[in-house]
This record gives sequence, C-alpha cells and structure tokens, in this order.
Amino acid sequence: MTVPVIEFVGAVKQYGNKTIGPMDFSASRGEILGFLGPNGSGKTTCIRMLLGLSRPSSGRVRLRGVDPLRNHVEALTGVGYSAELPNIQTFLTPREVTKLAAAEMGLRDPTPEVYRVLEEVGIIEYADTKVGKLSKGMVQRLSVALALLGSPEVMVLDEPMIGLDPAGTAHLREVLRKYAKDGGTILMSSHMMSEVEDLCSSVILIHSGRLLYMGTPKGMVEEMLGANIVRVQAKGLTPELVESIRRTSGVIDVVESEGWLEVRVGQGVEARPTIARLVSDSGAELLTMTGGERMLERAYIEALRSGRDESK
Amino acid sequence: MRVSRVAAFSVYEVRRALARKKVLAMVAFTALLDTVPYFILSSTGTTLIPPSLFPYLWVAGVIAPFALFIQFIAILIAAGAMSEEYEAGTAELLLSKPVSRTEFLVGKYIGGYALLAMIIALNACLSIVSATLTYGSQAGLDTVPGVLVVEVYASALFYSVAFALGELVRRSSLSYILSSALIVSSQIIGTYLQVAFELTGKDLYQTIHVYLPTTVAGSLPPQYEQQLLPSSAGRLFQLILGPAGGTPSEASAAVMIATYFLVASALALAYFNRADISRRVS
Repeated sequence: MTVPVIEFVGAVKQYGNKTIGPMDFSASRGEILGFLGPNGSGKTTCIRMLLGLSRPSSGRVRLRGVDPLRNHVEALTGVGYSAELPNIQTFLTPREVTKLAAAEMGLRDPTPEVYRVLEEVGIIEYADTKVGKLSKGMVQRLSVALALLGSPEVMVLDEPMIGLDPAGTAHLREVLRKYAKDGGTILMSSHMMSEVEDLCSSVILIHSGRLLYMGTPKGMVEEMLGANIVRVQAKGLTPELVESIRRTSGVIDVVESEGWLEVRVGQGVEARPTIARLVSDSGAELLTMTGGERMLERAYIEALRSGRDESK
Repeated sequence: MRVSRVAAFSVYEVRRALARKKVLAMVAFTALLDTVPYFILSSTGTTLIPPSLFPYLWVAGVIAPFALFIQFIAILIAAGAMSEEYEAGTAELLLSKPVSRTEFLVGKYIGGYALLAMIIALNACLSIVSATLTYGSQAGLDTVPGVLVVEVYASALFYSVAFALGELVRRSSLSYILSSALIVSSQIIGTYLQVAFELTGKDLYQTIHVYLPTTVAGSLPPQYEQQLLPSSAGRLFQLILGPAGGTPSEASAAVMIATYFLVASALALAYFNRADISRRVS
C-alpha cells in the first residue's frame, strides 16, 4: 500500500473558542492539491500543523508518513515550503538566505544549487541585494526559491502568487508546471481560482475550519453548481437559437451574460456537439465554446454560500 | 544533533545580533568606557591613584564594567535572540527546514554567547592598550586569559536568564525589561541587605545577599583576579568595587552560576520544544 505523502486524520487545532477541523484528507505522490478557502478559514493553520510548526490539539498529521513534530528532521527532508507573505531576514541577501537554508538542509557544495534556484525564479540579478531592499514580488520569488532548494519531492506553498505581477505569476506558474511534470507533489493554498484550475489535479475546500469538499476541480464544479457549464460565444445569436439550445436534451438552463451564453447541462451530459451544430445551422458564427473551464470560482463562491447557510 | 547545523545557526545569530543597531551601540559604548576614563584620569593628573597601582590599572577596565555594564550587554544580546525571531516572523522560515528545534535553540544560544565573549575580550584588549598608553607598561598580563574565561563563564548567568525569558515571553521589549529589572532589583536589594546587615549584624541578611544573582555573577571575576595579583594591588579592587560585602566563595559562585544556567536553559528548551512556533508577533 502506498503511504500518502500528506495525511490528515481527524486533525483538530483549537485556539481559544476557535476550532479548525477535524480535517481528514490526504495527497499521494505526484498529486497537485489545491487548498481553497476564505481568509481565516484555517488553511495556514493546517499547513503549519503539516510542517510541525503547530501542534494539533487532537488527531494525526503525517508528512511523508512521519510525524512532523516528533521526527521533524525526517519529515521535512525533501520538503520545500513557501509561506504566505514570507518574513525573510532583511539584513541578509537572497544568496545568503538561500545558503543558510542550504546549510540547514545539509546540502554539500550548496553554491551551484543556490544559484540554480535563484536563477529559476528569476532573481539572480538581485542575489547580492539586501532582502530589505527587495520589492514584495521579489521577496515572494525568493520564498519560492527557498522552497525549490534541493529539488524537494514535496512543495507546500501558501499563497505563492501573492504580490507577484502578471509576468511573475506566469513565470511561477511555469516553474510549478515544470516541477509537477517532473513528478513533484504540491500542496498549494491560493485565492486565485484560475491558477488552481490550471495547475491542480485535486482540490480541498475548507470554510470556518470545516472541510467542505475534497475531489477534482471538475467534480467541485459539478457538485456545487449541480451541473456542468458550457460557455458559448457566437456572432449572430438570435432568440430562436437560444430557445432551441434550451430545448436540447440534457440542457437545464441557458443564461445570457456579458455577450456569452452559459448553458447549464446535466452531469455527465456532453452537449457541445449538439450546440455547435445548432449554432451552425442557424447561420450564426461560433467564436468560442468552452467546456466549463473557469467555473471553479463560481463553484467556490456557491460552496461558501451554502457552507455559511448550513452553519446558520 | 548535527554540529554543522548548530554552527550555521551560531554564525547566523552573530550576524543577526550585529545587524541590530542597539548591540552595535553598546559595543561602541564599551569602547568609549574602556578608553576615555584612562585618558581623562591621566590628563588631569589626579593623585587619587597611588603610583604603585599604575602597572595594574588595566584590571580596572577589565573588572569594573563587568558587574553591570557587561551584564546589560549580555541581556541585550540574549533577550532578543529568540523573541526577535518571533517578532520578525523569521522563526517559521528557519524551522520549516529539516532541523530540530534543539539544534536551532542551541545554535542561537552559542552564537549570541560567542558574540558576548568577543565583546568581553574587546573590553579587555581596549583596557590594556589604554592603560599602557596612559600609565606605562602593565604587569600581571599573564592572568588575562584566565580572567577572561572567568568573566565569560560568570556572564552566563544573566545571559541564560535573559535568553530563557526571551523564549518564554516571546516579546523582545518585555524580556529586556524583565531581565533588566532582575539586575537592577538584585542590585538594590543587595544594597539594602548590606545596610541591614551593617545595622543589625544578623547573618541572614548577609546570606541572602550572597545568593543574589548580581552578587554571584559580579563577585567571581574580581575574586579570581585578586588572588593572582600581588597584595599591593588589593587597594585597586577596593577602589573599583567599593567596600567589601558578603560574597560567595569562588566554588559556590561557580556552582550557582551553573545552577542559574541549567535551570534557565532547561526551561527555555522545554518550552520551545513544546510550544507552537508563532507566525509573527506584533
């Protein structure tokens, strides 16, 4: 039996009156797990328990099959971590910070590795600038460089895109894609649904310390919205065409929104060929048709809304 | 526990402490304290110091600042060693790597202590040079390494207490205040106890005085040094330290310093290994 790389079993963290958990989820090797939830929902608390920085009040947390509190060195070997809004020593330079981290990890001959990760995240030209003089985006990149140090088998990233400009976001996305392609496991908390949808093979959604969903992003859309969404953009749409799409078998509803048609179809229904044919037959020009991508954000909002309703 | 990781944290702690302006300011103040008085005294031509003491005046610069000034430097370095990591939020980053908490704590302890030892050595060097330049060649310098070791050892008392307080309260300003309060209150209580002893002659006051942390830490270096220098230099110790009060024997002082160190360090280590690592304390 394969041991999960990340495992939470009934893990609870109690802070005064606030309770996070119980959390039950796991991630296998090679999985990219998106960790979703609003601010204060308990994502960072879970990450801190996973890294052995915070002690669970009850339950069990394992990293690489090891208790990160009792066997911190063993559990954290081969694990890279990038914190949300990282606090990095301002009196050191990126090169020195990375060298210190390399020394902590016991890397032999760390210099080439230090330069490799600084190069990879695109801050090599700032290697000898004091961290206190770097922009937020550069510090964020440095934080990811620290996580990439020593080619870890697991990366835990808490809001890695925060503070990055669009170019930085795109660059980091590529870095993470490459890492995942090479078989790395990632646990990534993020508020950027498009990034999660692009990168993650599975997602966890928590709200007010409770686990609301665990599964694939597509499954979350289906479960939370009760349907798949096909988005259609066409030139020459007519009310008759909209009506004929609405009457198509498996279609639940059609809504026009900002020049797009959002067609809600039942779970497991493949309506796109029929819609394409109807558009073509009506003489309209089909510009774009997507199969429900970019719907995670809507599913997320819907999940939080229903989560709040339940807790009332 | 891996030595290389402890060493990495030690070097890091020295750099971190030196990056703080208050530590640098204290080092600069030490330099002034060890030089300026010699030049002022020699230029004013005071008759306060008998010429027979001129070859031993380096001792004044080594011993006099130790009782209070060096102790304040010790707490300045130690009180912030852990607490400032929490305040800056950098403890989380350092401990998210495969290192044990014990390695982290021990490394930082040793780093700060090594810096303190360097400052004590600097203090001695400047005193010797200043005394030589102003009062001619100095005698008894072969005792310098020994007294330095004793001073470094004795400074472990307040260093350990301040280090532990920094970990326990996790606020640098609060740990400075508590550690300073310990020094100041110990000093004041010591004075009152001495007065009470003089007035009543009751041994109890003297006994309590002997066990106060300032008495324990402050008495060891002069006691050690005094027995190594000729009796003619004894007058110098009276001038530096004032009227003699109750002091523990060297062995008792050494044991009490070790006790303070062990209790404070064990508390800090136990708490650090048990408590959550704060994200950022503001």
